[in-house]
Formats: sequence, structure tokens, C-alpha cells
Amino acid sequence: MDLEMVFLYLSAALAVGIPALATGWAQSRIGPAAAAALAEKPELTVTVVLLIAIPETLAILGFVVAVLILMQGGG
Amino acid sequence: MILNMSRIRILGPRGQLQSVLGCVQDLGLVQLVEPSETESLSLLGLTPEQARHVRGVRKVVKDVDTALELLGQTPSPPKTAKDLDLRRAALVAGRCRRELEGLAEQHQQLEEERALILKFRPFFAAFRKIGESGLDLDGIRVFYLILKEDGEEELRRMRAAFRQALGDGFELLSQASESGESAMLLAVPAADAMKAEQLLSEAGVQALSLPDQFEEESVGSTIQRMQARLGELPGELATLERQRRRIAEDRGRELAGIQATVRDYLATIEATEKAVVTPRAFVVEGWIPSAARPDLERQLGKSFGDQVEIEAVSSEEWAGDTVPVVLHNPRLFRPFEAITGMMPLPKYGTVDPTPFVAVFFPMFFGIVLGDIGYGTMLGIISLILRIRSKPGAKLRSISEIGLACSLFTIIFGFLYGELFGDLGHRIGLHPLIFNREEAFFPFLGFAIALGVVHIVLGLLVGAVKMFRGDKRRAIGKGMAAMMVVLIALALMAASGMLPERFFTPLVIATLVALPILIVAEGVLAPIELVSTLGNVLSYARIMAVGTASVMMAIVANRMVGAFGAVWVGVLFALVFHLINFVLGVFSPTIHMLRLHYVEFFGKFYSPGGSQYRPFRHWSARESATDERSA
Repeated sequence: MDLEMVFLYLSAALAVGIPALATGWAQSRIGPAAAAALAEKPELTVTVVLLIAIPETLAILGFVVAVLILMQGGG
Repeated sequence: MILNMSRIRILGPRGQLQSVLGCVQDLGLVQLVEPSETESLSLLGLTPEQARHVRGVRKVVKDVDTALELLGQTPSPPKTAKDLDLRRAALVAGRCRRELEGLAEQHQQLEEERALILKFRPFFAAFRKIGESGLDLDGIRVFYLILKEDGEEELRRMRAAFRQALGDGFELLSQASESGESAMLLAVPAADAMKAEQLLSEAGVQALSLPDQFEEESVGSTIQRMQARLGELPGELATLERQRRRIAEDRGRELAGIQATVRDYLATIEATEKAVVTPRAFVVEGWIPSAARPDLERQLGKSFGDQVEIEAVSSEEWAGDTVPVVLHNPRLFRPFEAITGMMPLPKYGTVDPTPFVAVFFPMFFGIVLGDIGYGTMLGIISLILRIRSKPGAKLRSISEIGLACSLFTIIFGFLYGELFGDLGHRIGLHPLIFNREEAFFPFLGFAIALGVVHIVLGLLVGAVKMFRGDKRRAIGKGMAAMMVVLIALALMAASGMLPERFFTPLVIATLVALPILIVAEGVLAPIELVSTLGNVLSYARIMAVGTASVMMAIVANRMVGAFGAVWVGVLFALVFHLINFVLGVFSPTIHMLRLHYVEFFGKFYSPGGSQYRPFRHWSARESATDERSA
């Protein structure tokens, strides 16, 4: 495997890995607060689901970018 | 859709007020509101004696509600419960409440006693051995302590601290329990008890508090009595439960009858309070679905002839008032009200998104999961849930949404040629649109295209809704929708999906539309447009989650043959498919909910509607539904 392919795979991995870590960090902050809010006000379920799902956009867009990198690079 | 509502005014002779209200309550179509008072009309209100009576009725309601809550069940009221004997109702409800509260209190005390003794149980043997040491407990205070494993060092430190504080005036005995922790008995003169408590607190040692009835006993007999109590408690708890069941059998239905009758009676009093009167006539006002008004007119006409009149209140008189909202959708769409019902009700005069959700939610779900096998599994589970659920229950709605999702999943499974991942390809199924294993770009394009359609639809719905009021903003919304389409087409032309000659005219059209958008929506409109384009990109999750799902299924299939023995591989594959199925149902649900609530609803949805609560006969089930939706 030549060096170009190594960088290709590495950049794809970073493209999905870093946003996934960021998503995990964001959700780790939202999760406990959401659980506490739900214990007080169960009617906030929808808001909580949305708040938890919002950071996932980062990971999903990261995944799409990684796929684009791999496809464009012929990997 | 949101039903059209009419504000009506019912007028009649004052002597007929109660009969008219009774008729209105029987029909259960009108939400009563206080009419505006004028010089000649005044609120009927209550006399001090009536107010006292109402307080009495409210107390009965409270008693009966508490009693039924403590019974833990809602028996159906007897059909004959119509006439209210308030004195008897108050007597029965009050007595049942007191009896049940007494039982509940006793039950709680016994449970607490059992929990306390159970805390001691692992250390019974250890404490008994300590007790056998012949410690004389006369005039001294005993502490039962638990020390965690490897507490030798801590024990030495405690002994030293106690020696320093109390000299030789204490006894500290320890015994290892079966769990590895140490049970300890600390005996100090009663006068030094406070000092000992302080030392224990400083050492961070947990002291088990003894139930009151075991105080002042020798250690051996304490343990013996606690063991005996542990044997007695289940019997005593069962006796209490029998007594509760007996009350439920003897009085349950009567209480439910009282609850229905008294609440009905209270509702009538509250309705009477909302009437305005002259010396000879009454007026009540309320909201009714426009389509139901002829029913009310017919019924009142049949019962009271031309003595009672119904007239419409013109919209100028109620402009600015909150109009209650009634959602009414075709049978096929109605289960999806459970999804829109998780959001606050839409304002009256705006758009009910349920029909859109009913079309797009299961379709997007099917596009993501898209597998004949998983779709069939989901269909079977949904069917079982539907058979087991009651009509009108939340579970029934969920099961019907599940059935719609499974149908779309099977359809897209055929289009992708997927049956439990690539198993379909192996048995001769061929993808009709694209193969999701390889066609990442077509799938991504498809997802983004869906986003464009969904968002543009949302913007157009918002524009149509606004057109009656704020025409300028409506034009802005329409322009934003057009610009999203133009930008999408320009990108397609740039990437070769459309002829290249379209690119320049599309870019020019976009640049021409931009100033119009700014004029219509303000200087922040371009930022809003960028955010809308971000919303469109968010639909890429359809491709991302879908691809993840199919890849997991492929990995599951590859497990067969990867573990030597075929049966082991098959077992692993089945387990993995099961996990993928659970994830495959959960994940698209969350993501599709988000696409609807954030991206789609954000373009037109106006929350803030108030629940329609017609004046009708009380029923426990409807009351529970109302409380949930409130």
C-alpha cells in the first residue's frame, strides 16, 4: 500500500472519528441533564429526544464526508 | 386537519337553565366559556350557601379520588349511578378514604420494618456470636456497626480513638460475617452515647439503627426477635392486602359510581357559574366544532322547542380569544396523531402536520431500514401488539404506525433487493433501484433529494398558511423554497446530473431571487437560507443510518462459516441480526422524529393551541387522557 492510500484511509478515519468523539462528548453532557429534567418533567420527552439527537448530526455528516473521501480517492 | 370551530350563544328562559345545561352535557359537544358581562347581564355566581355546598362536594371528590387511587384500580361505575345522595356519598367516600389511608400507613410501616431487619440479616450470625459473649447491657447504649472488608486497620484506629475519648469505658466486639464484612457491636455507657455517635460519624462508620420495639433488649434476644418478626411480617402484609381487596370488592364499584356522579354534579355547578343572567333569561357561550352545530340545534329544538335559541357569535367579538383545537384526520392517518401529539397542539387556524407525518414518517423509515426480512419481523410484532391492544389506546396507535413502517420497509426491501442484508442477493433477489452495499453516491443523492422535497414542502405549507395574514412573509417563504430548488438544480448541473448549459441560467435566477428574499424577509434572510440548506443536508442521515444498517446485516451473514462449525456461525448470525433489527427499528425512529420535529415542522408549525374540553359526562378514561394531554 502506498503512502497516498495510507493518508486517504487516515483522513477518512479522522473525518468520522473526530466528529464521533465530539458527538459523544456533547451527548455525555446532555444525557445526565436530560435524565434529571425528565425526572422532574416527563412531558419534556420530545425535547429531550431532540436534544440528544441533535449532536448526532456531527457524526453523520462526518460519516458522509468519510465516504466521500474514500469514494473520491478510489478506496 | 384542524376542525373549524364556532363560538355560539345559547339563550333561554332563566327557569330552564339547568335543563338546558343537562341537555348540553348529555351531548358533550360544547366547551363552555364565560360570556362577557354587560350592564343588563351579570354572572350567575353562587350564594354563600351554594358556595359552602360546593366546598362540600369538592371534599367528596377529593375523598373519593384518594380512595380509588389507594385501591389501585378503577372499577367501572354501575350504570344506575345517576341520582346523587350527597350525604351518603360523603359518608362512604370519607370512611373508605380513612380506612384505606390507615391500611396504606400500616403497610408502609411494616415494609420499613422489614427493610430495616433485612439490612441486619446478613449479620445475624455474627451479632448472635457477639451476644453470646455474655455482655451485660444494663444501663448502656449499644451500636450495631458494619465495617467493610479489610477493615482491620480501621478497627484498630477506631479502638484507639475510643480509648482516647472514653478510656476503658467501652466495649468493641467484632465478628466477620459470611459476606466478608465485619459486624461490630459497640457498647458505651448511656451518658457517653452522644460522644460515641460523634466518633463514629468522624470515622465514617455506618451504624444500623434498630427498630424501636427492639431497643433495650439483650443482643441475643434482639436477633432472635428480629428473626421471628421477619417470619411474621409477610403474613401481616398479606392480611393488610386482603383487607384492601375486601374494600375494593365491597366498595370499589360504589366508589367509582360516586366518583362519576359527584364529578358530573360538580361539572354542572361549574357550568352554571359560567352562565350570565337577567331576571328572566340566561345566556351561556361556548365553542363547538362547526360541523356539530346542527346536532346541538336539533337536540335543543327537540327538547325545548322555540324557547331556547342558538346564535353564532361573530368573529369580531372573540378576536384574540384562544380557540380550542380539535384534530380530526382520516382513519388511516389517525394513529400518527400520537407523533404530532408529542408536540404542543398547533394553534387554531394553522396547519395540522399529521397528514404529512403519516406519509413521510413511514416512508423515510422504510427507506432507511429497507429490508424484506426486517420489515416482515416488524410487521408480525406490530400485528401482535395491535391484536393485544385496546381501541384508542396509545399502544394501538404505535402498533398501527409500526404496520405502516413495516409495509414501507418491505417495499424498499424489494427495491434494494435486500432480505436480511445481502442474503437476498444470494437467493436471486436483484436491486431494482440501487444496491446499497456499493451505491453510496446514488443513495446520498436520493437522501438529499428527499430532503429538498420535504423542506420545500414545509416552506410552501408555511407560505400558504401565512398568505392569509402576512403576505410579505408568505412571499419570503415561497422565495426561500424556490431558492432551495434553484440551488439544488444548479448543483446537479455543476455535477453533470443535468446538462451543463442549465448551470448559468440557474445561478443567475438564484442571484435575482436573493434581493427579493431580503426585501420580503429582512436582512437576516440569507442566514436563514443557509440554515435551511443545512436542514436539507441533515437528510444525509437517511443514507448514513441506512448504510450502517445494511452493513451490519452483511457482517451478520458473514459470521456463518467464520467460526468453524456452521451451527455456531448461524447462531452468532441470528443473534447479530436480532441486535441489528432492534437498532434498525430504534435508530430510524429517533432520526425520523428529529427530521420531522426540527427540520420539517420548523418551516411552518405554530404551537400554542389549547385543548378542546367539552362540557360532558365525566369518565375516568377520558379524564386520564385529558390530564396527559394538558
